[in-house]
Amino acid sequence: MPRRDDLKRIVILGSGPIRIGQAAEFDFSGSQACRALRNDGYEVILINSNPATIQNDPEMADKIYIEPLLPEVVARILEIESPDALLAGMGGQTALNIATALAHEGTLAKLGVELIGCDLQAIDDAEDRDRFKKVCEEIDLPVCRAIACSSIDEVLAAAEDLGAYPLLIRPAFTLGGLGGGTAFNTGELVEIARQGILHSSIGQVLIEESILGWQEHEYEVMRDTSDNAIIVCTMENLDPMGVHTGESVVVAPQQTLSDRDHQNLRDAALKLIRRLNIKGGCNVQFAVEQSTGEYRVIEVNPRVSRSSALASKATGYPIARMAALIAVGYTLDELPNPITGEGTTAAFEPTLDYCVVKIPRWPFDKFRTADRTIGTSMKSTGEVMAIGRGFEEAFLKAWSSLEYGSPHPRPLTMADASGGETMDERAAIPLDDATLETWLSIPSDRRMAALFESFRRGWDIERVREISGGITRWFLHRFSTMASIEAEIIEAGISSDIEKIEEDSIRRWKGYGFSDAHIVDAMNGFKPQLDASVVSEMTKHRHSLGIHPVFRMVDSCAAEFAAVTPYYYSTYEGGNASRGIDRVQTESSKEVRRMVVIGSGPIRIGQGIEFDYGCVHAVGAIRDMGHEAIIINNNPETVSTDFDTSDRLYFDPLTLESVIEILLRERADGIILQFGGQTAINLALPIQSQLDHLHSMGVELKMAGTSPDAVDEASDRHRFEEFAARNELRMPRGITAKDPLAVRNGAAEIGFPVLIRPSYVLGGRGMEVLADSKQLDAYMSEAYVAPEKPLLVDEYLGNAIELDVDAVCDGHEVLIGAVMEHLEEAGIHSGDSTCFIPTQNVSDAILEEVEEWTKRIGLKLGVIGCYNIQFAIKGDTLFVLEVNPRGSRTFPFVAKSTGIPLARIAARITMGDRLEDLDIPERQIDAVAVKAPVFPFIKLRGLDPAPGPEMKSTGEVMGSHKSPAAAYLKARMATEIPVPTHGGVYITVKDADKHSIIPLAEELHSMGFVIHATHGTASVLRESGGLPTNTAYRIAEQGSPDALDLMRQGKIQLIINTPTGSGGAILDGNMMRRLAVELNIPFVTTLSGAKMEVKAISELIKGVPEPRSLTIGTV
Amino acid sequence: MYKNRIQASYSMSRPPHPGGFSPGLNQKGVIDPPSFPDAADKLLKNTSEEPFMGPPGVLLLADGTRAEGRLFGSCSTGEGELVFTTGMCGYQESMTDPSFAGQILTFTWPLLGNYGIHPGTSESSGIHPRGIVCRELMVNPDHRDSIGSVHDFLRSHDVPGICDIDTRALTRRVREHGTLLAIFGPIDREDELKKRLESMHPPDQEDLVGEVTLNHAAILNPGASDEEGKPLPRLAVLDCGIKYNILRELCSRFEVVWCPASLPFENIVSDWKPVALFASNGPGDPAHPGAASDARNTLAEAVRAGLPVMGICLGHQLMGLAAGLRTYKLRYGHRGANQPVLDLHSNKVHITSQNHGFAVEDPAKGMLAPHPSGAHSDSNENILESKFEVRYVNANDGTVEGLDLIDRPCFTIQFHPEACPGPHDASLLFDRFSDIVDDHLNSTLEVRSRA
Repeated sequence: MPRRDDLKRIVILGSGPIRIGQAAEFDFSGSQACRALRNDGYEVILINSNPATIQNDPEMADKIYIEPLLPEVVARILEIESPDALLAGMGGQTALNIATALAHEGTLAKLGVELIGCDLQAIDDAEDRDRFKKVCEEIDLPVCRAIACSSIDEVLAAAEDLGAYPLLIRPAFTLGGLGGGTAFNTGELVEIARQGILHSSIGQVLIEESILGWQEHEYEVMRDTSDNAIIVCTMENLDPMGVHTGESVVVAPQQTLSDRDHQNLRDAALKLIRRLNIKGGCNVQFAVEQSTGEYRVIEVNPRVSRSSALASKATGYPIARMAALIAVGYTLDELPNPITGEGTTAAFEPTLDYCVVKIPRWPFDKFRTADRTIGTSMKSTGEVMAIGRGFEEAFLKAWSSLEYGSPHPRPLTMADASGGETMDERAAIPLDDATLETWLSIPSDRRMAALFESFRRGWDIERVREISGGITRWFLHRFSTMASIEAEIIEAGISSDIEKIEEDSIRRWKGYGFSDAHIVDAMNGFKPQLDASVVSEMTKHRHSLGIHPVFRMVDSCAAEFAAVTPYYYSTYEGGNASRGIDRVQTESSKEVRRMVVIGSGPIRIGQGIEFDYGCVHAVGAIRDMGHEAIIINNNPETVSTDFDTSDRLYFDPLTLESVIEILLRERADGIILQFGGQTAINLALPIQSQLDHLHSMGVELKMAGTSPDAVDEASDRHRFEEFAARNELRMPRGITAKDPLAVRNGAAEIGFPVLIRPSYVLGGRGMEVLADSKQLDAYMSEAYVAPEKPLLVDEYLGNAIELDVDAVCDGHEVLIGAVMEHLEEAGIHSGDSTCFIPTQNVSDAILEEVEEWTKRIGLKLGVIGCYNIQFAIKGDTLFVLEVNPRGSRTFPFVAKSTGIPLARIAARITMGDRLEDLDIPERQIDAVAVKAPVFPFIKLRGLDPAPGPEMKSTGEVMGSHKSPAAAYLKARMATEIPVPTHGGVYITVKDADKHSIIPLAEELHSMGFVIHATHGTASVLRESGGLPTNTAYRIAEQGSPDALDLMRQGKIQLIINTPTGSGGAILDGNMMRRLAVELNIPFVTTLSGAKMEVKAISELIKGVPEPRSLTIGTV
Repeated sequence: MYKNRIQASYSMSRPPHPGGFSPGLNQKGVIDPPSFPDAADKLLKNTSEEPFMGPPGVLLLADGTRAEGRLFGSCSTGEGELVFTTGMCGYQESMTDPSFAGQILTFTWPLLGNYGIHPGTSESSGIHPRGIVCRELMVNPDHRDSIGSVHDFLRSHDVPGICDIDTRALTRRVREHGTLLAIFGPIDREDELKKRLESMHPPDQEDLVGEVTLNHAAILNPGASDEEGKPLPRLAVLDCGIKYNILRELCSRFEVVWCPASLPFENIVSDWKPVALFASNGPGDPAHPGAASDARNTLAEAVRAGLPVMGICLGHQLMGLAAGLRTYKLRYGHRGANQPVLDLHSNKVHITSQNHGFAVEDPAKGMLAPHPSGAHSDSNENILESKFEVRYVNANDGTVEGLDLIDRPCFTIQFHPEACPGPHDASLLFDRFSDIVDDHLNSTLEVRSRA
């Protein structure tokens, strides 16, 4: 079927904020869809609540709405825009849920909007557990067998019938899976089933066979309207069933199925997609019992997903783009293969000649108290992917891309068991075998390191398989190989020096993916500290032998056709191969400048999609200027790693070693580090130290933009203090303490409260605000301080307003993108703050000072490109808190609020343009924009759900409106935590806030809310405020009702809790916030937050604010 | 279209395979069917002896390319035409596919042997390529059905392999310059290898079909009947280098007489009285004057005699030649499991398994994607007494992938509906042939009864 000409305007739904389980992959798929449809002449309207995405940029869509992703809001936009169709399959579950709701309630039919790209019936059949089971049975595909039982006798009979333990017990109709579990024997079965029957409202449990420990395989399928169907990619999880595929190490293509097995599953996948009548992309998951060949269909995702993003990047096949084109009528054979160009069609199955490994990126480096075990729900915030010719190479490359723990696998020591702290005294003691066994048997972020370690210790394949719950032997053999190569390197290190290592050995080790750092570290016997200069020596020795990687194209056809996609990965091949016939290509053309843009790596806390946005804009600016943009990144979910974003894409680790090789290969003229967040900026000094070496190899590299020295001056505390003093910039007082006494003296001198933070991660504690010497005592009892690991003690600016400024400087002039005011007082991490453009409570005089200081800092520091400054205002006094000489997290928010494309402007400045030469779009000033954070508390247990000095949010949303309250309300609604309009409010505030809370309580009361409060707060509200207030016990008092009781009874719709940070209230607040997270009850922890919340409530009572489309300029 | 493929099985495993190839076994109506060797049988007795340490080897190409690696298998010298296949699994099926006779087979998938060698999974009784080239050899295969490694398998058949080769670079070389003659062997005998390479003749000049075809005709499933007990129609199969799975597919639809490629048509008819004829896949140049030409004549006679005829791969090329079209050498051929084929009748795409280095010219577009040597057959006449049309084309390069004869119960296809390795998308073509034969039988019965 050809293109549908009856459709003109298409609305595409995004997926909202970056969250655990739903990250940048939908920016990637949405952007592909936007581009595909727009290029094909359709008018595209995009709705997303997330300001940090590329998809809601003017290049992507004709009209952009940054509005809450809620059915009623989307319905209103459909009414305003009256499009012909709604494409929902690109925005993950969020978009699918909205589309389903709008279709089922008849809104789409009423508005004459056609749902394209997914079929309601297909969604229901795939997502409803019972219907899906019926579908599978109908077409003779095996699903997990389950038997419904109402008595213990029936349970025992069912167990007999199902054959083998373990068995899953799922009670029918209970809240929150209460009473379910896994039984490994009859005793456990009876016990769990009895509980289950008790908890079930209909007295029934489902006894289901367990597929724990089976292999997990995935098939990415595409199908068009004429029933052409293909498998784009197969993937195999290294972790057996029991670990969510998003939490698993995944390999593509599958490695351990025979052709017979594979064709069997391929047939099943195609049969299923045809029966479900899915048109577009989908993902089918199978479980395979390796020793018997039994298999089960686990589930189908009837849309593009995280897996399809991975499959796209693993094969080069743009699944989302094809799915979008299929949605408007095209068939696969009508579409040219975008990889090999005209002459071949999209109706083909990619074939790979390399191995792809994905490893999830967990946030446990930031959240040291969180429970690290992984399982059926997701905890990772992002992932990395690496490509190698063999598994070992791909795995080790992926490992070094993680920026998590050690840069390569190192022998595990007791220090690794101590929750993330550096504990040098334990670093010499090997991890005990018992702990190692636990790390193998209970899946956590430590499992891969444990696998490597177990083979280092010479454990047998079968033993490791047994302990690990059935990891496929093929993978264990790969780990065993890595360990034996490492042993070979250690051996070589004992008998010789780096310069004497022979070419053949180095080639062999490199072929298995060992980085120079790993080799040197192993040769030195893994001493606690690795000297970077020795690594650099190794690199130089390797270069002197002419050993470089070869760069291979991801062409989806194993080199069968000449491909046109400039998408590469590096490999050292194995053995003697690279001496053979494929050499590093030399690029000859020197007319255009080749600019390498360093990406931002995996999505993690503090480094989200915002930086990918910056990189994509940098690439766009470079290309606009007629130069070649080359991107290096390792995150498969992003737009920057889409093969047609840049002139050349290198899917490789962002390590010094791998970046240097690419710079050499490209004969790069320049490198841009400003946009890739901390990952990129951390490379500034190391790359500068290699400039001479690069020069000796014939590469004249310029570090574009701000000089590494200026970066260092801004980032190094001491240097910046001197800079501030020199330039008459006020900073909070602070000291660097090298021993406990200095800490105490410093704190006393500065005066409590103080902000204390380690220069290193210590004792499981990071940055904290300490109110008095008692808290300092508590802190010091767990902290470690030494001359080489000092503690920083700073004046804490209580009740100060915090500002964020994003600006661009060209060395002569400064452009201020926006001054943002944080809702929360200074002390809450700026990434977790709610902020407003324009500022709401700052005097013009201060604003002038802010602008003046911003200019001074940019010019005096010598910033070329972008920078971000955090200020605090205490009373009428301005302080500068920190300067980040790079693109910041708020760049996209600024662009979307003001219409000024700051990242693009910064990129042009970096490339040498002057601000005065640019045609900068006019600033939009007709609305207030609010950015609000989104937190991962529901997914991560053991984490206190309150914002503090350390960043905890995963993503952000934005709302904009003429009225600040309505703008804030939109942002609040977009966080998808309900905004209450009636019910009960629970108030418990610290003494300092007790009087300020009265007017808020009054307003809530007048809007009809019932007020509950703890004794202290209640008496103030009653006595001074004259408000009817119900008193509840504090949790520690163990009386009834306490806050938890009220919450469980559904009597609380909002919590206002300003933590005191001392005594029993800490625990109280923590438990209450934890429960609030689980019950999805909104809570605010600051007074300013409470004020805004009350305004938002009163706004919502008036009605949902009208959506507005945005105007964003370009240069 | 997927109705017949998957049995209602919860398991992909089979009962332990005793080895051998006996497609008539357990078939309704069949008593005491013959059994033939499967290439993997040798591993049922021969287990691996010692840990494998490959001696250094060198691979030389006719264009001067040289690459060092390690030898495995028989660790001896391999010589032939270097080709590559892009399938990511199914190496055992490929290595035992007789169509690879005369060639050195390169796997573009870099890890060879992940799941070992399985009994009863070979496509013939031997390993047919004259050498195997791969990137990384897996010495510890992991699969429930595995009875040995690829190294053991090659060694048991005395076939050499070379690993640690940058196979992607080789593939690019072949893609750019066309298939090339190549030799590999111990590095210390490089000079000797070089000399042999210089005097090597293309294997296309050998009678490869004659080499791989079987010696004596045999019925594979005597007395085979359908579920209702009705005898299956008898089919004569010309073995030009047939894959076992074609025979398996055919045996489930016909009583199959497996015939040598050179068995004359009159002998086939007089000895076996088949109601239809099938021409198989096979190695080498379809226009070779040896056994391939014998098979071509038999095919043409069968068409002229009004028998239903189906041809696969070489069988298709023979039909092309008989139809008066020329055959020609492709630049580097189609070998893999992901070749898209467009059915010009339904406009649907099938993902197919393919393995061929020659093609039939398109009557309108000529010889697409030719080898740099320009090798092609002489012009000849249509000896079918029938017109034809191109029914299938390759969706990538447009080359001819199948012919339908007009008003005759005959068709041929370039690709492999029997899969093994590869996808099952095209397996319905065996059903199509079965239907054609049934219709043909019914109509001749009608004609007879009317007479």
